[in-house]
Amino acid sequence: MASKFGFAGGIPERRVRPIWDAVDSRQFKNALKLSTALLSKYPNSPYALALKALILERMGKNEEALSVCLNAKEILCNNDSNVFVDDLTLSTLQIVFQRLDHLEMATSCYEYACTKYPNNLELMMGLFSCYVREYSFVKQQQIAIKMYKIAGEERFLLWAVCSIQLQVCCGNGAEKLFQLAEGLLKKHIASHGLHEPEALSVYISLLEQQCKYGDALEILSGKLGALMMIEVDKLRLQGRLLARAGDYVAAADVFQKLLELCPDDWECFLQYLGCLLEDESILIKDTDPFDSRMSQAVDFVRKLMVEANNNSVRCPYLAHLEIERRKLLFGKGDADKVVEDLMQYFIRVSFLKNLVKECEGSVSGPTKELGQSITVFKIQNSIGELFSLPVNDLEDIAVQMTEMFCKNLSLSKELDAQESMHGEELLSLACTVLVQLFWRTRDLGYLLESIMVLEFGLAIRRYVWQYKILLVHLYSYWSSLPLAYERYKSLDVKNILLETVSAHILPQMLASPLWADLSDLLREYLKFMDDHFRESADLTFLAYRHRNYSKVIEFVQFKERLQHSSQYLMVKIEAPILQLKQNSNNIDEVECILESLRCGTHSLELSNEIRGKSLTFNEDLKLRPWWTPTFDKNYLLGPFEGVSSCPRENTHNQIKQTEENVLKTVEKRSLLPRMIYLSIYSASESVKENLEANGAVVDSKISLELKTLLERYTKILDFPFQDAVELVFGFSSGQKPFEAPSPDMIDWMNFAVFLNAWNLNSHEVKFSDRDPSSTSTWNLVNTMLRKYVMETIRCTGPVVSSPGSHLPFLVQLVTEPLAWHAVIIHSCMRSLHPSGKKKKKGGSVDQSNTQLLHEIQNSIQSLCDTTEMVMKWLREQLDTPDDEKFEAIFSSILRNGRNDGPGKVFKILESSSSLIKDVEVGPRILEAVKSWSPAGDVRKIIAGQRSLLSEFLKICELKLKSLQAVRVQL
Amino acid sequence: MTSIRRFCCNDLLRFASVNLDHLTETFNMSFYMTYLARWPDYFHVAEAPGNRIMGYIMGKVEGQGESWHGHVTAVTVAPEFRRQQLAKKLMNILEDISDKIDKAYFVDLFVRASNTPAIKMYEKLGYVVYRRVLRYYSGEEDGLDMRKALSRDVEKKSVIPLKRPVTPDELEYD
Repeated sequence: MASKFGFAGGIPERRVRPIWDAVDSRQFKNALKLSTALLSKYPNSPYALALKALILERMGKNEEALSVCLNAKEILCNNDSNVFVDDLTLSTLQIVFQRLDHLEMATSCYEYACTKYPNNLELMMGLFSCYVREYSFVKQQQIAIKMYKIAGEERFLLWAVCSIQLQVCCGNGAEKLFQLAEGLLKKHIASHGLHEPEALSVYISLLEQQCKYGDALEILSGKLGALMMIEVDKLRLQGRLLARAGDYVAAADVFQKLLELCPDDWECFLQYLGCLLEDESILIKDTDPFDSRMSQAVDFVRKLMVEANNNSVRCPYLAHLEIERRKLLFGKGDADKVVEDLMQYFIRVSFLKNLVKECEGSVSGPTKELGQSITVFKIQNSIGELFSLPVNDLEDIAVQMTEMFCKNLSLSKELDAQESMHGEELLSLACTVLVQLFWRTRDLGYLLESIMVLEFGLAIRRYVWQYKILLVHLYSYWSSLPLAYERYKSLDVKNILLETVSAHILPQMLASPLWADLSDLLREYLKFMDDHFRESADLTFLAYRHRNYSKVIEFVQFKERLQHSSQYLMVKIEAPILQLKQNSNNIDEVECILESLRCGTHSLELSNEIRGKSLTFNEDLKLRPWWTPTFDKNYLLGPFEGVSSCPRENTHNQIKQTEENVLKTVEKRSLLPRMIYLSIYSASESVKENLEANGAVVDSKISLELKTLLERYTKILDFPFQDAVELVFGFSSGQKPFEAPSPDMIDWMNFAVFLNAWNLNSHEVKFSDRDPSSTSTWNLVNTMLRKYVMETIRCTGPVVSSPGSHLPFLVQLVTEPLAWHAVIIHSCMRSLHPSGKKKKKGGSVDQSNTQLLHEIQNSIQSLCDTTEMVMKWLREQLDTPDDEKFEAIFSSILRNGRNDGPGKVFKILESSSSLIKDVEVGPRILEAVKSWSPAGDVRKIIAGQRSLLSEFLKICELKLKSLQAVRVQL
Repeated sequence: MTSIRRFCCNDLLRFASVNLDHLTETFNMSFYMTYLARWPDYFHVAEAPGNRIMGYIMGKVEGQGESWHGHVTAVTVAPEFRRQQLAKKLMNILEDISDKIDKAYFVDLFVRASNTPAIKMYEKLGYVVYRRVLRYYSGEEDGLDMRKALSRDVEKKSVIPLKRPVTPDELEYD
């Protein structure tokens, strides 16, 4: 970091070098010692101070580091002409300030230095980088213009232009700013020309953003166009500009040229066809131009085929098909012709596959055949044919796929364990067919077989991520979440994949008792995202420095995209809720956590920020299995819907629906911490109110705010507040029927809990005219909880034989509403016994609190009973011997003379593992196949379920214990 | 059927099917973005119909004097799109840019000495083993430094194999 010769920050370099060496080799203690020595010699040197601050920060002593930094800043900005100020000092300080989250202080140091030493380009660049880090686009522009005026360099002008573009694209700048940027560029070009390709693309994009396509095209074909050195890039840009300008004929010509250069570019062909048809044939009314243009396309594609001497080019062949398809859509086609072209295409493709094999020297008929069969299966699958077949045929197909995989294992004999095997996709396909069979018949055997084919495949090659993703979903569905999580972890999801892939496991974990694992997941994800936000601006500045201006805009937009990620927002809101759940048995801990969340307002602010803004959805949905197209939809939870559920439009609608739901969910969940905080407060106030003389002032603000939040909450549930109150009373009194367990249930239960807390103070919910059995909101909560829990247990069969069980709802009921209610009780009790000690012998509670005490007593009893009910059910599940469970599951695939039903696929796997021979498949595959244990797979499922239930039981036990402890205080 | 274009940030959100393959490393963000910020022409992606990512190549240009060269940092193709010569297409683009735009002398890359299929492929594309780097991969496995001379290196001096292996700290660049 220090310059090699002479002085660094005004200090002889030889004195500074050892410090940097110590820092670089992470010997911070030594570095600190050296830096203290340096400071004794240069006590007022900002650079020496900055170094010390840097070392302290690396040692984790943030407060000390900040105070040293501030000291350095003070000396720097104190207008003492003896103080040495240079970029090295400032940039070192900047690093520390940035790591301490005080960007603004670094900026002000640079600002001061730039005023003190005007026209110093190095300092100005430092200041520019500060503004980049703060995303202050206007200030960026101003300082860039200043630098441009001083140095006249093209790059500074482009920095200014980018800053202007950012104001419009990512800030709140008006579009007319583009004119200013264009004017600046024009003037510069007139006098100096333009020298960098990236400068040209910024110029063109600026014109494009203003819809000045003609101007852009003119520049591109003029002298400056030579800057764009990659011919195809230039043509692509030209084609796009022409099409945007509405000159479709010329655009089609350009795309034609481009296709001649890149005959395999499908995207380009679609653009070409789009231009010929003047954008999806909307503009062409009469058929004449359509016919002539289509035949023009046919001729051109034919020409491409002749010219493409490379046999691996497939685009022109598919292009034929596309042309016939468009004709059909236009009402001028011939369905038979389309089918014929389709056949031709596949014949051609399989011919190619064969050819490639020949080139590779491993001529193998079987490999080719295998490839073709897989293609046919995939087509059947993607056109939904598999959904309309009768069960028996479907079963045959699964059998065929599995058999084909086993028979062709020998083809992979010579392959390295890390290489993909031939026919690997067959097992994924077989799995999805078996899952469908399960959906239709509800026969557990098919579900088990769908798991077994994948485990069999993984035993042979443990790297197949497609199998792992399917297993994550199947195990989650079968309440074996710990096993699902294990499979997920083996995917090694890290860095940006955390954003696109973690939704395979995250939603299930959020509703699970696996708090430690969930906490890891959330922490890792947040760390990745926050690290990126921290470093993103530095990388943007790097793009500026290397004059890759187009990347500047891209980076800032990308950062915004991630910042608006729905998953990021959800995790930021769920992470504190998890903490609250984990500590819900200790009210002091709960208060501490809420304190760190600014009394719960932190989450509220988060959701307020995104109100009205659109969220981004970055999960890679293409990786999801068909039965769960989005995280909140699982077809297996409902009855068989047939082929109607399969079409793409459905998936598309489902995705839209999910995106809308996420917004609601996020808002709903963001209210929780604040409602908990206010409820705790409200509960303790209500006790104090009673304790103090009547007429004591109660903090009505709390009441009002809690009511506002309750109203917001019910609004999200699509109910006006009053109706919502009626509804919950209806539920508890039995006037309103309970519906099957659903996520709504948790929402209503939460509502009832916070309604009670609010009512403790406001006393607005009156009971005189109500059913005598529900005399208070306390009672409301007790009854609802008990009923919900009972109902959920009733609907939840034995976990082992009830995949897709309601267990997650039960977990949520206990760990959320029940836990929040218990926290409210704790709060009341703490106020009744401020010392936290047990009531003194013979001491009596104030008369006015008798009623409240009575309610609390009842409520505690009720919570204990409800919790015990859950525990009893859990123990029953856990007490069933594993062997019994094993029998129950494993028997589902044993055929025992049956002719129909599941078991056929299993039989193939089983027999292949006993019949396979060394000579056929080689020792590695042989050993792997032999190592596969179907019984082991079943036992793992059971063990996973057991560990999930035990984890839940532990939570219940602790909850019960804490409730009993409160009861003793009464 | 392949559209090849510059890689952009949004592609990071769509390359999971390529990167979940266990031989493809998913680097941290600053790694990808540093490449994008410094050498955007050396980072290309191939897309199939339906905008599915088939594979990508990332690289850089560096060095001084006659060792000014293009470097392939990573090239990867998703299993379902293999055996279509896609890696070759991507490599050709990088070679072309190194040769014509940056006027580099050669292109080089590192490969695990045990990765025979990859070494064979690079040899087919005209690369030769220039030298062996001892314990290059996590201090365990040796790496092979493979090179292909470009038009500027008329005498093909850059690809004359070194007789002795080198250690990682003898390397000029990372």
